[in-house]
Amino acid sequence: MKTFIETKTVRNIALSKSEHPSSMQLDRTLAPDFRTIETVQFPTPQSVVLDNGQPLYVINVGEQPVVRLEVLFEAGTWHEQVEGASFFTVKMLSEGTQNHTSAQISGHFDQIGAFLELSHTPDRANVMVYGLTKHLETILEMVSEMLHEATFPEKEFNDIRNITLQNLRVNLEKSAYVATNTFKERLFGSAHPYGRVQKEERITALLTSDLENFYHQRIKARPFRVFLSGQVGEAEIALVNRFLGQHSVSEPLLPTITPEIVSQTESYWLDKEDAVQSSVRVGRRLFKRQHPDFYRMVVANEVFGGYFGSRLMKNIREEKGFTYGISASVVPMRQEGYWVVGTDVKKEFAQATLDEIQREIGIMQNEFVPAEELEVVKNYLAGEFAGSLNTPFEIADRVRLMVLEGLDVDFYSNYIQRLRVVTAEDIQSMAQQYWKWEELQRVIVG
Amino acid sequence: MIHYAHFTLDNGLEVYVHEDHSTPMAAVNILYNVGSRDEEENRTGFAHLFEHLMFGGSQNIPAYDEPLQKVGGENNAFTSPDITNYYITLPSVNLETAFWLESDRMMSLSFDPKVLEVQQKVVVEEFKQRYLNQPYGDVWLKLRPLAYEVHPYRWATIGKEISHIENATLDDVRHFFYKYYLPNNAILVVAGDVTVPQIKALAEKWFGPIAPGEKYVRNLPQEPRQTTARFAEIEAKVPLNAIYKAYHTSGRFADDFYTVDLMTDVLGRGKSARLYQKLLKERPLFANINAYTTSSIDPGLLVVQGNLNEGVTLEEADAAIEEVLQELVEIQLPAQELAKVKNQAESTLAFSEIELLNRAMNLAFAANAGNPELVNQEAEKIQAIRVEDIQNKAKELLRKENCSTLYYRAATV
Repeated sequence: MKTFIETKTVRNIALSKSEHPSSMQLDRTLAPDFRTIETVQFPTPQSVVLDNGQPLYVINVGEQPVVRLEVLFEAGTWHEQVEGASFFTVKMLSEGTQNHTSAQISGHFDQIGAFLELSHTPDRANVMVYGLTKHLETILEMVSEMLHEATFPEKEFNDIRNITLQNLRVNLEKSAYVATNTFKERLFGSAHPYGRVQKEERITALLTSDLENFYHQRIKARPFRVFLSGQVGEAEIALVNRFLGQHSVSEPLLPTITPEIVSQTESYWLDKEDAVQSSVRVGRRLFKRQHPDFYRMVVANEVFGGYFGSRLMKNIREEKGFTYGISASVVPMRQEGYWVVGTDVKKEFAQATLDEIQREIGIMQNEFVPAEELEVVKNYLAGEFAGSLNTPFEIADRVRLMVLEGLDVDFYSNYIQRLRVVTAEDIQSMAQQYWKWEELQRVIVG
Repeated sequence: MIHYAHFTLDNGLEVYVHEDHSTPMAAVNILYNVGSRDEEENRTGFAHLFEHLMFGGSQNIPAYDEPLQKVGGENNAFTSPDITNYYITLPSVNLETAFWLESDRMMSLSFDPKVLEVQQKVVVEEFKQRYLNQPYGDVWLKLRPLAYEVHPYRWATIGKEISHIENATLDDVRHFFYKYYLPNNAILVVAGDVTVPQIKALAEKWFGPIAPGEKYVRNLPQEPRQTTARFAEIEAKVPLNAIYKAYHTSGRFADDFYTVDLMTDVLGRGKSARLYQKLLKERPLFANINAYTTSSIDPGLLVVQGNLNEGVTLEEADAAIEEVLQELVEIQLPAQELAKVKNQAESTLAFSEIELLNRAMNLAFAANAGNPELVNQEAEKIQAIRVEDIQNKAKELLRKENCSTLYYRAATV
């Protein structure tokens, strides 16, 4: 694959002035000329409809004989009736089928050097397998079995539950984990899929019948999407159709309920006596990728805390040395989004860090971002974007987002142009509109 | 297969070029042949602190990051016990910016006292964030000095203690720079949408004028053969008991490395691995358990580690691990199991070559080990391993006298 990049030459002012190319002395104070990236062509995936009507998206890219198969279901936290059902149902898919035990299933994938990843987000559930393309048929045999004949054995459920509980106990000792969870809970409410966090008592109360119900409701013979990326062609498409395209599929019986968001705005400070650092989270609910302010916000956020040269990094790490790192992120999801500033700082500087974040927000609200800084940020974002489309899997991840979130077909092919048109005025208005200090949720743990 | 061209500048800088025109990007990787193993015992953590200082401005360029970001580039670096590695990815049309930046900081740093002062604080916070403020975060600070008595691998790259980082002076920084950051102590790999003549010209132009220095000759005390079992125990506020068992083994580029690597895969790779199946699934002793090698250049460690389930004693868990290891010593590995770990290795290799930057780094690591061809011999070496090789290696390594065991006890509140 060759990603096409269109570039524009920029002469540095210093270089353009000097008209003496004969000078042999290398002047190391002058930066070489460079070009800016103006567009990146985003490859169009091949769309196929399987015999049972389910969509398959094919991203045939790359020089290595590898493949990634992803089968995606509308089976995330959003779709569960019992808290924790989706997480455990997905994890349990490889723990037993009518014909194979847990050990046989992991042996099946390991034997051909394939990696199975069962994951779950609030919005969806994924069955993902990485392997050599020559083993795709062997991969599909077992994936199909997991999706149609999973048995949810009690013993394996207890093992997985035990591992999950132990991991949770370890995570609860990490201030960063507690801070992030508390932050999300307070933005969306603990009952909302985007605010829901793992709770020991919920996990303990789950039954295998909850998982079986969810499996029948959301996975077995329910609608799905397949993303096939890597070195793949017609033969591989035919294999997917043979294993995943032959079972008829019907819509789930129970509708998805859109839950109410319950936000809290006062700040939360959990002191941990033995902690040597405090985890700080500051932010608010925000929007999805389709929102008209999305690109303006991406650029504003990048200036503020999105990259290594951001204002927060310069101030809090590079000038004050309070932390190893601080960053701000725009986090768009399928139905909602949020904005968060996160850092782990030396404990006695937690308040000072909050004060500095507030001060930097004030500067963003009151002053235009200088042209030079804005140019750096846009060029950096463009280069980062071009560099993030170099593997078939990175492209497939974006295709998945486009499909799931219903983004415009030109969302990624016009991404850079849309960032380029953001102005300093836009950025100021973003800071004024969205970063009002009194509206921001603040969580400090440690 | 990673194809490459190689040339050496007059000042000793080794340059490798790996062309791949399927991408519009270029990767530039500079490896300096210095790591925490080269530090003095009372000034540990310095190689890593120094890595931070490399971003604090050079002789002619006040800030390193910004000019790179301006041309759409990204960079980072890491320090290990063996090496310090700096890397950039950027649109290939702007490749020269990377040469300008990297050559200037190889020539000379700004040696700004303010940069040192701030980065000392940043690294101290990094020390806390990664090693102190995490459950089990300090385990390697304890395990290294147990397993190594003489070799500098006995301290962690972050440093033995925070005071070593706080006590570093600007004189130390200068001394370190002029000793190790030399063209004749570095390897430059340029990969991606580039050509060999282009890289030759750029390398001559930007790196050619940098003066070489006295060649660094490494002369580290080598770890003597361990002859008795070692044991240590610590207690901390963690939710579960944990156990770590470290066996001395060979280095990353030794002939038997892949034999040991496959052996650890048999033990710990994937859910079908022996430790997982026997000690988590068949007997519910562990909440997680795995095995790996440290892959260091000098002789490294084969580590088995796991978190215990509640109600399981450390002694019981320890004995159970030894039983699984002993089985490898006594009973020959079934052919199918060897085929499995070979297939896993084949797959991993294919996946590791997808990313351009990975290819550049792997080439740099092999070249640094003295033979760039090693990067392309991996598959063949793995395929040549036989079941009896694994058993012989298990007999040689998996002995009590070759092991350091650490019990990490959860403090009872």
